[in-house]
Amino acid sequence: MTTIHIPDDALISVEKLQMHFPIKKGFLGREQGAVKAVDDVSFYIRKGETLGIVGESGSGKSTTARALLRAYEPTGGSIRFKDPDGAWHDLTHKSEAEMRKLRQHMQMIFQDPYASLNPRMTLLQLVSEPLVNIGVTNKSELEDRVADLLSKVGLRPENMSRYPHAFSGGQRQRIGIARALALNPTFIAADESVSALDVSIAAQTINLLQDLQEQMGLTYLFITHDLSMVEHISDRIGVMYAGRLVEVADTASFFEQPLHPYSEALLAAIPIPDPKRARAKKRGLVKGEVADPANLPAGCAFASRCPHASELCHMSNPELTETAGGRFVRCHHSADLKLQGANYDQ
Amino acid sequence: MQDETILEIKDLNICFEMREGTVNAVNGVNFSVKPGEVLGIVGESGSGKSLSARSIMNLLPRNATVTNGSVKFRKTDGEVIDILAEKRESRKMRELRGGHVGMIFQEPMTALSPVHSIGKQIMTTLSLHTDLSKKAQVERAADLLAMVQMPKPMEMLKKYPHQLSGGMRQRAMIAMALSCNPSLLLADEPTTALDVTTEAQILDLIMSLQDELNMAVIFITHNFGVVAEIADRVSVMYLGNAVETAAVDDIFYNPKHPYTRALLQSIPRLDGQKRHRLQTIEGMVPDPFNLPTGCVFHTRCAEKMAGKCTSQIPELTHFENDQMARCHLHQA
Ligand SMILES: Nc1ncnc2c1ncn2[C@@H]1O[C@H](COP(=O)(O)OP(=O)(O)OP(=O)(O)O)[C@@H](O)[C@H]1O
Ligand SMILES: Nc1ncnc2c1ncn2[C@@H]1O[C@H](COP(=O)(O)OP(=O)(O)OP(=O)(O)O)[C@@H](O)[C@H]1O
Ligand code: SF4
Ligand code: SF4
Ligand SMILES: [Mg+2]
Ligand SMILES: [Mg+2]
Repeated sequence: MTTIHIPDDALISVEKLQMHFPIKKGFLGREQGAVKAVDDVSFYIRKGETLGIVGESGSGKSTTARALLRAYEPTGGSIRFKDPDGAWHDLTHKSEAEMRKLRQHMQMIFQDPYASLNPRMTLLQLVSEPLVNIGVTNKSELEDRVADLLSKVGLRPENMSRYPHAFSGGQRQRIGIARALALNPTFIAADESVSALDVSIAAQTINLLQDLQEQMGLTYLFITHDLSMVEHISDRIGVMYAGRLVEVADTASFFEQPLHPYSEALLAAIPIPDPKRARAKKRGLVKGEVADPANLPAGCAFASRCPHASELCHMSNPELTETAGGRFVRCHHSADLKLQGANYDQ
Repeated sequence: MQDETILEIKDLNICFEMREGTVNAVNGVNFSVKPGEVLGIVGESGSGKSLSARSIMNLLPRNATVTNGSVKFRKTDGEVIDILAEKRESRKMRELRGGHVGMIFQEPMTALSPVHSIGKQIMTTLSLHTDLSKKAQVERAADLLAMVQMPKPMEMLKKYPHQLSGGMRQRAMIAMALSCNPSLLLADEPTTALDVTTEAQILDLIMSLQDELNMAVIFITHNFGVVAEIADRVSVMYLGNAVETAAVDDIFYNPKHPYTRALLQSIPRLDGQKRHRLQTIEGMVPDPFNLPTGCVFHTRCAEKMAGKCTSQIPELTHFENDQMARCHLHQA
């Protein structure tokens, strides 16, 4: 297992996080193995920093974020969080009541806005709920705060009395963002929070998140599939594959030259917003069987698809190790590989 | 409707009566698609893209009213169906939905049933539209899941939507939409929850089906990279209007509408530069109860001409190569 050094200015540290979902079979519901959604994941985020997380669909990104905010009870590892007074809290085994206090400082913007917004609540109720939960009851104060939050995320305060179904997908996503901002948290985990927005409103939202970060020193975990967005917003990037972190690096070095073969495949697949260049591009798709977190191989989970796989790769699972340059990678052969970076847009 | 057209939307107007007044969510949208053609739809969040797509399935929200316009679909046997004249649950509509027309909905959780396994849901679609045996249905369902890159397809059949990641749900829905080889595929942001390698594979799959079966595709997305890769033609929507429609190259290299140009400038570029502000379009989206007079974009347009733009609704101007835009700049 991997041990990483946690710097002094960290706000969050995650060590050997594990989230396994039991697989139940038969009508007695006997346990038959587990979906290893997250396995041996360790990282930290510095205060005021943005850590971008990218990776395969189903690789455990949302589960990591949910475990971080203790929406799930992790099956292993530890999560620590520094509150605004500088005191560290071990979140791993906190009770729901203890967590409720800390959640003021930690918020999540969910991936699926439709599933995460109660359809029976108006916009006002939805966005003010976190405030009501901490005891704000004055009606006009609530309305003012909500109006302010709505205009911040580009929604019209006049629409406060409407229900979520009356909004488009992208508008609902912004309701989730307004809700997350309501308590002035210090940490926000944003799960695909701009991918449903048009490019102009996505840009507005990203600018807003960056402004808030500059003004209030906010810290972000930013999950996305949009690599141009992650390049723009993140200080560092983590790449997940089959429940594990396979690479962590500062943004510029990552795009310049990735160290993990899966990272290289990701960078090669970025769609290019230029029809002529898109047509000219030869697409080398990653082939081979997709990893199944319920049935991971003994060796490297990427081995069946990796062009550099050796016998060793099929037999033993590499550890996340620190390189000389202070980057982290989980690959037996990364030191000998010269991988291709991103094609920058002109 | 022209012979070679499979789908034609004409002057579509959709509104909602709300307590505060009427929301004109779709305001005279026109487009048509030929077999084998991919029409990309991009544009403002809330501009009516999903509503336009849902009208093709005759699945508008219950509180929506179509005040004008028609949606016509040509089946492979030549019969033309006037969709909005049909009852929502008519025999023709049920045959169309999932059979001739496959739809990938924007939010998978609204379209997948939480109480049935995804295998069961795909097989229900198959039993409605094909005469495959039970055993053949299971095989077909597993094949479909393999086609959309799901790991261990046979086991995936037994999973419930809440046990899947966002992107896996999306892929389950793509499998369902493709299950009966539709002649028209409506894809509403089908790959937003997918990593770029899986996305590339799904796009390849859609393009190969389009090629093999001559399937027509309407592809709604916010991702200009995806549009560049997959679309033949592109419609750009703003506030219930298709403000520009053109071949994909003309949209990127020769856009005529100021909104199209502004959108293109907001795309985050992979440029190796950090911490600059992204470009956005000035101003807020207008209040749908109080649509701007004249050109709907005039409150935010950098090229607005006082007088004309604020008072007269621009007509559609036609350019060569079937490009059209709704803007006074191009009117004599
Ligand atoms: N409640 C659950 N029960 C069983 N398995 C689950 C549950 N939630 C998630 N999983 C499984 O855990 C794995 C990781 O899921 P997760 O949602 O974290 O992926 P993700 O990286 O966010 O993917 P995406 O990019 O598609 O959103 C998947 O294989 C998923 O099927
Ligand atoms: N059931 C409803 N009741 C009232 N208004 C609605 C309803 N459904 C949609 N609308 C309104 O219609 C407009 C168009 O919605 P639509 O979902 O078509 O937008 P969209 O272009 O798909 O946006 P997005 O890119 O965010 O998905 C929105 O402004 C929305 O507020
Ligand atoms: S460990 Fe081997 S199989 Fe895994 S990514 Fe590295 S080279 Fe490829
Ligand atoms: S008609 Fe006028 S306001 Fe509208 S897009 Fe054209 S120039 Fe801008
Ligand atoms: Mg997810
Ligand atoms: Mg939509």
